[in-house]
Amino acid sequence: MASSIALSQSRPLSFFKRIAEILPGLLLLAAVGYAGKFLERSFAAYGKAHHLTLPNIEYVLWAIVIGLLIANTTGVPAAFKPGLATYEFWLKAGIVLLGSRFLLGDVLKLGGISLILVAVEIAVSLLFMTALGRAFGLKPKLTSLLAVGSSICGVSAIIATKGAIDADDEDSSFAIAAILALGAIALFIFPLVGHWLGMSDRAYGLWAGLGIDNTAEVTAAGALYSDAAAKVAVLAKTARNAMIGFVVLGYALHWARKEGTEGVGNKAAFLWAKFPKFVLGFLLISAVATAHIFSKDQLTSLANLSRWAFLLTFAGVGLRTDISEMRKQGLRPFVVGALGEVAIAFLTLGLVFGAEKFLR
Amino acid sequence: MTQQNVSRIKKETPPAPGISLDAWAVALALVLSLLVWAGWIKHIPW
Repeated sequence: MASSIALSQSRPLSFFKRIAEILPGLLLLAAVGYAGKFLERSFAAYGKAHHLTLPNIEYVLWAIVIGLLIANTTGVPAAFKPGLATYEFWLKAGIVLLGSRFLLGDVLKLGGISLILVAVEIAVSLLFMTALGRAFGLKPKLTSLLAVGSSICGVSAIIATKGAIDADDEDSSFAIAAILALGAIALFIFPLVGHWLGMSDRAYGLWAGLGIDNTAEVTAAGALYSDAAAKVAVLAKTARNAMIGFVVLGYALHWARKEGTEGVGNKAAFLWAKFPKFVLGFLLISAVATAHIFSKDQLTSLANLSRWAFLLTFAGVGLRTDISEMRKQGLRPFVVGALGEVAIAFLTLGLVFGAEKFLR
Repeated sequence: MTQQNVSRIKKETPPAPGISLDAWAVALALVLSLLVWAGWIKHIPW
């Protein structure tokens, strides 16, 4: 039985079979995302028609809430899962296209400030999470995964570190569940705190990019605040993502030394393998836009393409959040993660306020 | 070769290097940008 499974899995799926496999989930992403957009317009139109002052509820929030309701009431049938998993693909394509809305000079300036803050944030977060994990008696590898997940970039960082330090599947699923749950909470809390503090779009975007873990949640939290905040949030998060290889390499070397196993051979190749390539795509499109190769209308079209890609991502954020699964993972990793996240949110808020004069 | 051996060989053979999700996402974004620049895609509404 096991061998037949191994053989059938190893056979490459034909292109059309793969398309047929992802189509149902992709259509669900599109339907939920578009429903969010439709509800945003309808809600605003209803308020206008009836002379009511209704809050402007963005399509981002509608799409996430509809997704959450579906995932946690009827559930998502297995046939939709492969297509839903493409939300990360749309996120990355959307980020690359978003590069067209940045001048390279802004990217370098804001990216440079972000990188300095990211370095401080990563160093403090890693130390704090490691100490917290020890204090709560978590397994050392689970602590490492939580530390990487909360300091760099959520799920991708945990998956990359899991392979590099040979952590258990159970530990990585604990860490992923905790980071996803905390990301979902942060998504709603960050915009409220940002408005309460009267933060500028740039300051808030930088804070969301530094303080929230998963790229999809960062993008959504930015878009919930404003379009300009979303741009800065994505840029700051991209700078954070670029650091993933260095931190994973550090952990791989640390655990190899600790366990007396074979370390990392070619470090440059390791760094390249872990480097998120979409960062390069983002920089390339930004450089092309800076060279005025696109007309104004073309830039608008590229920005709108990016918005459509993010629309699918936001639907995916809601649809893949399974609250019952999170409850099953136990309380301790969640408590460690939550305490760490609150501390990181305060730390990054302090960093952003400290750097605010350089943001203008 | 027994079924068990086939299974073990499959398990021990490293997967063929493929194009990563990141690279596909970058490729799609670049192709779309090219189509917009060349005028094949005239206008994307929002």
